[in-house]
Parts: sequence; structure tokens; C-alpha cells
Amino acid sequence: MIDRVASGFHPFVLPFLFGMIFVLGYCLYGIVKILLQLSHEDRRRFLLSLINPVTAWKNIKDIFLNCLLHVKLWKRNPVLGYMHSSIAFGWFMLIVLGHIEVMLFVPHRMRQVWYPIFFNYFVAEGPGPATVQGALLFTLMDFFLLVVLSGIALAMIKRVRSRIFGMRRTTRPSFLDRVGLYSLWAIFPLRLLAEGFTAHISGGGFLITPLNWVFRQFLGDQLHMLPTWWAYSIALCIFMCVLPFTRYMHIPAEMMLIPMRNAGLKIKHARRGFTRAMVWSCPNCGVCIDACPMSVKKINLKDTTVYLNRNIRRGNEERIEQISDKCLLCGKCREVCQIGLDGPSIRIAQRAMRSYGLNQDYTSFRPAPAPAGHKLLYFAGCMTQLTPRISKAVGSVLDKAGLDWEIMDKDGGLCCGRPLMTAGRFVQAKQLIRQNSELIRASGCDTLLLSCPICYKIFKERYKLEGVRVVHTAEFFEELIQTGALHVEKGDIRYVFHDPCELGRGSGIYEQPRRILGRAGYLVESEPNRAESICCGGSLGSLTLGFAQREDMTRNALKHLTEGGPDAIATACPLCLATFSRYADRAVQDIAEILDRVSSKG
Amino acid sequence: MSKDNIVIIGGGIAGMTAASRLLRLGYTPIIVEESDHLGGHVAEWHKLFPDMAPAQDIVQRLAEEVSAANIFLSTRVLFINRLHDTYIVMLNNGVSIQAQAVLIATGFNLFDATKKEEYGYGIYDQVLTNRDLERWFTTGDDPRLNGHEVKRAGFVHCVGSRDVKAGNTQCSKVCCVTAIKQAIELKEKFPDAEIWCFYMDLRLFGKKYEDFYINAQKDYGIHFIRGRVSEVSEGLDGRVIVKAEDTLSGKPVKVTLDLLVLMSGMVCNATINPIATSLGIDLDSDGFLRSKDNISHIVSSGRKGLFLAGACTGTKTVPETIAEANSAALDIHLYLTEGK
Repeated sequence: MIDRVASGFHPFVLPFLFGMIFVLGYCLYGIVKILLQLSHEDRRRFLLSLINPVTAWKNIKDIFLNCLLHVKLWKRNPVLGYMHSSIAFGWFMLIVLGHIEVMLFVPHRMRQVWYPIFFNYFVAEGPGPATVQGALLFTLMDFFLLVVLSGIALAMIKRVRSRIFGMRRTTRPSFLDRVGLYSLWAIFPLRLLAEGFTAHISGGGFLITPLNWVFRQFLGDQLHMLPTWWAYSIALCIFMCVLPFTRYMHIPAEMMLIPMRNAGLKIKHARRGFTRAMVWSCPNCGVCIDACPMSVKKINLKDTTVYLNRNIRRGNEERIEQISDKCLLCGKCREVCQIGLDGPSIRIAQRAMRSYGLNQDYTSFRPAPAPAGHKLLYFAGCMTQLTPRISKAVGSVLDKAGLDWEIMDKDGGLCCGRPLMTAGRFVQAKQLIRQNSELIRASGCDTLLLSCPICYKIFKERYKLEGVRVVHTAEFFEELIQTGALHVEKGDIRYVFHDPCELGRGSGIYEQPRRILGRAGYLVESEPNRAESICCGGSLGSLTLGFAQREDMTRNALKHLTEGGPDAIATACPLCLATFSRYADRAVQDIAEILDRVSSKG
Repeated sequence: MSKDNIVIIGGGIAGMTAASRLLRLGYTPIIVEESDHLGGHVAEWHKLFPDMAPAQDIVQRLAEEVSAANIFLSTRVLFINRLHDTYIVMLNNGVSIQAQAVLIATGFNLFDATKKEEYGYGIYDQVLTNRDLERWFTTGDDPRLNGHEVKRAGFVHCVGSRDVKAGNTQCSKVCCVTAIKQAIELKEKFPDAEIWCFYMDLRLFGKKYEDFYINAQKDYGIHFIRGRVSEVSEGLDGRVIVKAEDTLSGKPVKVTLDLLVLMSGMVCNATINPIATSLGIDLDSDGFLRSKDNISHIVSSGRKGLFLAGACTGTKTVPETIAEANSAALDIHLYLTEGK
């Protein structure tokens, strides 16, 4: 392999150079912007994590697995996984192999950055016999080009028929997205043509050499060579120039997002810093549209997380407000998101940015003291007060287990603070947290039992109750059965379990309630369940979602739940219970009620 | 005596009144009643407002008037097919009737108070519905009340009425005045009892209703609190604690009661819906059957030979139901004699 062009330069590399300088410059600007927007301690934390070998290794691993191989997407949808990893990893390998070629054959050209990209134009087959490395590299190059081309072909099919890929709804690309898309599609076929026209000079592998032979059968001259190299370079230029303003920004942005997440950063602002990295990382795939419980109603399609990102990028304040308010904060979009984009937290941060005319102060509340002298306190909370069959059943089960317990908020209590937290009113929420914490500490209890997952989540995450175990009835009752404190008689009722958002996705409790139901009767599963369970529609998370729309969501969730023909619907959240009870055609019961019915003294 | 067959679905006061009129017009109507007795909801009632007339009187009188009709008790209509100008009515006892006219008088169902779980019906023994209390007035027997002295009682208005979350936005019309009536009756039974009514607003539109309300305050000392009950819980001594907001004083109120009565509203008796829709009668937006129009043709279904009367088309008082049933009987007569 020898140098063919003495200067090692041709003007057709200029568009590519321009595009590359532009995109790198923009990325540098983005990195600096994000870093400056981080709070002082977050920035420190992030930069320190980069030099910590453990997180650094994790960063490299995560970037390789997610940005190049798309492992998470493979697990969800193998065809889409192949499509993405063939383009990303294939392209990456083309660049890497290009560099190896330059290093091996024309090492003095290492500083000419366009060489690995346009290698075939600048070299010619040497006079000597072909080397093994050369042949291997050509084969590999052609192989990965073929891989990328197959990915592009799938992408083209997907654009026309996304349903084949199991996607019901996706986003409509903007004008620039289309420019980016078509230029991306054009890059690799043009490269194939350019290398094909050049292969009789540069040599090539199994793909471009036969192609060159075909071309030469009817195109005798070499006039086609240069225009295709120009076209290839221009396609690259267009793609790189529009990239920062299109969905393809996710390619560089995710490489920033992964280290930031691994550093343990949290969303603190609805626009800046970490959120900016997230919003840029959104590939607009629209998986969250199908996942969102609000999508049952067509009018709510544009209230999904992908559109929140789009509007944040476009600075459409009015829509950002609307989208942030409507969401139920069920967290399913975060669960299905390939990049783990935290839509609910961005919305809460947005809610926190508002200024209210009235800033309530809850520090003057004087709640009744929690009963003292009991090791076990049961905090029913507002929602369980409205569903008294749950609190009655919980009490009955605790009595059967022979425990010394008392209701903490029997004579009225304070809110746990979670609804204020989701409304973005952190100051008020913290006032309630402080008051409740004092009550609990003063009572001298060592276990705080909750039947409401909304309360449970905040007690578990935000309260600092040293020496007090915070436990949900699902966990606690399962232990009572395990330890033999309760005797359970198996019935013949078939239950389906609805995973409440705050208990499942919110707190990671999936197995315990199922084990209780398995002991009480027969458990039937109905998908989507567990981490992908559909919100009941009653969530306190939404501030503006109308009742009629919620009704459709509830009915949709019920339809999925009852597919397996269960006798009763079981859940472990008073809000889900109340919501489902309105429209369900069969009994809706809390696990406490069910357990109370089938259990006796152990 | 006319040979025309008229099937009346529902043996409540609407069906009985229509049957009584049709008998006098020379027809022999056929009443199909799902339960084992005539009189519907009114038969379970103790006294009727505003004159405290015993409900049994009117049911008894109507029953005598319709004794010449063909009455199927404990019988349901399976389906109705239309054949030109006649209807084939199939009953679950195997009888099929070829009828020239059909009157739907299936009335209402009481809203299921367990759906408003925050009020604790079915969970706390001290919580009753208006129907439970009325039955107790009639029979004097209810395990939840037997042997108990009521010292403090409360009435919750609009349970399942005007309530989007319960799926019913309509006003049930009669509960405001029924609560006042029941409060007075309860006070007569327990003269020392203190009684509270928790209301959103009082809709006392009918003849002498307002006087009734004034009497309840003046002569019986019943307290009226404007504000919805938020939740009901069980107190340490087994009584119920009711939390509400007094929106006139702008303060939360909390009272401990021996007895809480939920004024369950009216919802459509949906058992007739499949048959009605198969005959081309739609459901109105309130869930009740749709009349031809809601002003001048309430008893008309818009379909030849098919008529509606009473609470199947919306919430109604007893006098309204009776007036509609009379009107329906006359319309049926005119339909059968003048032109099909």
C-alpha cells in the first residue's frame, strides 16, 4: 500500500473538515455550558468521579455497551437493537480500522485527520505481493461497511413501516431532523460507491472489488470517482453541521450523560446542567409515547416526555408548563427509556421553579402527639383514612399476629409531604417532614408501618429516622407469614396484582405482595406488569389532568389487568384501590384485606 | 274490552299507576315485575314528604286498583323483538307476549354507598343509608340500631349525586328533602338526640319543602352545616368521627356520632339498558334512558308503541312519577285508538 497523492490532500476533504470542526466545536461548547451550569459541589463531584478509577471504568463500560452496542435496546427489541448497534458500532469500527490502516501503511500521514476517512482515495496498491494484514483489513472494512448498510436499510424500512418493529407511535421528525436523517442515510451508500469506483487503484475487500468490476463493465472511465468522493464528504459535512440541532445530538450527548449519571448527579433544575445533558441525549425514539398511560387519549400524546424534551430544546415555555403539570409522575417513561431519561424529575423541577402568590407555612401546625409506649406504629395517612377497609384490615392482621401496635394518626395527623414534594413545593414538604419526624422520634417506636406506598416512598427516602425501621405492609406481612406469626389458609380465589407506581417502580417492591397473594390464593399475571405496570390514573402527581381523561386511563389499566380472567384485583395502595373500585367489574382489594380474610393466629 | 296487549315492565308506582289508568280505559295490561311484590322502592318507604303520608297507603290503593291486570311477579323480560307494529316480549318463565304497546317503567337503583368508601358504609356498623333507615322506621328491626339509644346523628347529603368521581353528575332531587324528613322522624323517635345535616346546598324546590326545612330547624333543632364530609373514621369508643368543613364559618368541624345516614342518590336501573338499546332507545348523557325530548315528550321514546314513565328517564319525585305514568297511559290509549 503506497501513497498515491503527493500532497496527501484534495479539496473534497474540506466539507468533511469543516463539518468535523463545527461539530467538535459545538460539543466543546456544550460540555463547557453544562459544566458551568452545574452547582459548585455537583461540578466537583463530577470531575472527581472522572479520575476515580472505579467510576472511570464504569463510564467506559457503560458508554461502550450502551452508546455503541445498545445492549439495553437489544433486550427490549432485538431488531431495533441490531439496527442501532449496526450503525453505531459499525461506524465506530470503520473509523478505528481506518486509523489502523493509516498507522500500518502510511504512518507519516497520521496528522492528516481526513486520512482514515478517505483512505482508499489517497492510496494505491503497492508493487509487491498483497500482505495478510492488508487483505484482512480490507475484508474487515468491507464487512463493517456491509453491517452499517444493513442497519441503514432497516432504518429506511422503519421510517415507512414502524409497526413492523413493534412501535405503535413515534415522533414526527422536524425539518432539520429529516435533513440529518437523509444525510445519514446517504453517507454509507456514497462511501460504498466512492470506494467501489476507486477499488481498482486502492484495492479492496469482498464488497468493493466486485463492485468495481461491475462498474468497469459499463463505465470505462474514471470520471465517477471524484464526484462520489465529493458527495461522500458533503454528506458527512451536512450531517455533522445539522447534528447539534437535531435528535442526533443524542450521539455525543449520551457520552456526557453516562459519566454524569455515574457520578450520582440529580436533577435540580428544569433546564440547566444535568437536565440539559439529558434533554440533548433524547433520541426522540418515542418509546415513552406508547408507554405513557395518558396516551390512551390521543389528545395527550404530545404531553409525553419526548415532547417535553423537544419543547425544552425549543424554549417553548407555555408547553413546558402544560406538559409538566399534566404528568401523573408514574415513572414508566423513565423505566422504558433507553437512556434512562428522568422525565418525572424534570417535571418536578419545573414545578419547583414557579412562584406562588401564597406560600403556606406549616410550621405552626400542632398535630396531636403520636401514641407512646408501642414498638410498632402504623401511619395510615390521608389516603388510607379515605379507604377505611384497609386500615381496619391492617389492624386486624396486626392483632392476629399478637403485636403491640397503635395507629399514629388516629386522631388526625399530618400529611407525609409527598404530594407537596411532587408539586415541587420542597420548603413546605420539608416542614411536614420535620414535624412528623419529631412526632415519631418522641413516640419511642422502633418500626413505622405504612399501607400507602406514597407515604412509604417519602418516609423511606427523605425522613431521617435513626433506629426506626420504615416498612410497607407488603414487606411486613410477608415477614409475619414467613416467621409463622400468622397462619394462612389458602383459598381458591385467583388474584391479579396491580403494581402501584410508588411501590413497584418507586420503591422496587415487586415480590413480597405476590408471595402473599400466592399464599392466600392463586396469582395470575397480566402484562404489562411489575416495572412496566400501567398507572391506575388516580395518581396525585398530576395537577391538571381532567377527570374524564383519568377515567379512560383507569379503564385501560383495568382492561389489561383483567385479561387473565382473575376473580379479584389485588393492589397495595389505597389510591389505586379507590381509583379502580370506581370502574372495576370485579372486586378490588388491598393485600391487607385479602390476608385478613385468610389468616388466623400463628 | 280492548284486545290490545300492553306490557308494562316494572311494577313500581309508575307501572301500577299506568296499569290502573289503562284498566279504566278498557285494557288489560300485563305487569312484569322482577321482585316478588308490587310497589317498587315506595313499598319500602315509611312516610312520604311533605305531609308525612304513609307510603303503604298509596301502594295499597294502587295494588287494589290493578288487581284486575295480569301480573307476573318474580319475572324478568329476556328480550323484546319488534315485528312490524307489534312487540314480541319474551319472559324468563317461558311466556311470550305479542304486545301492541310496551311501557318501560323500570325506575332507578339506589347508588351503591360502598363506592364512597371514605364514608365507611359496610365498614362501620354506625353507618346506614337512607333506605336502611327507612326500613328501620317501617320494620323497627335493624341489627345496627336494635337496642341503641341515638344521642348524636348525622345525615350526609349528595352521596353519589352531583359527584363526578362517583360517575354521577346528576342531582337526585329527593335526597335533600328526604334527609330533612328522616331527620325529623329520627328526632321524634329520640327527642334528646342532636342531629346534623351536612349539605352542599339545599335544593328544596317542591311544594312545602321549604316550610319543612324551616320546621326542621325551628321545631326540631336540627343543625344544618354547609360543607361536604371529607372522611369518616372509627373513634376509640366505637362511635364514628365525622370530619367536614363548615364552609359558612370557614372552619373544619369534627363530630363524634352514634349514627351516620348516607343519602344515597338515584342511578339508572341498568338492567333494562340492553333491551332498551336493542329497541333503539339511547342512553342520555346522565345514564338514564333518553326520551324523545326532555320537555314535551318525556314519556315518548320516539319509537312507535314504545313508552317510558317514571325514574327510568331521570331522577323523579313520587308525584312527578305518578303524573308521568298517567300521561303515558293516555298516550298509549291515543296511540292504540288513533293511529299506529
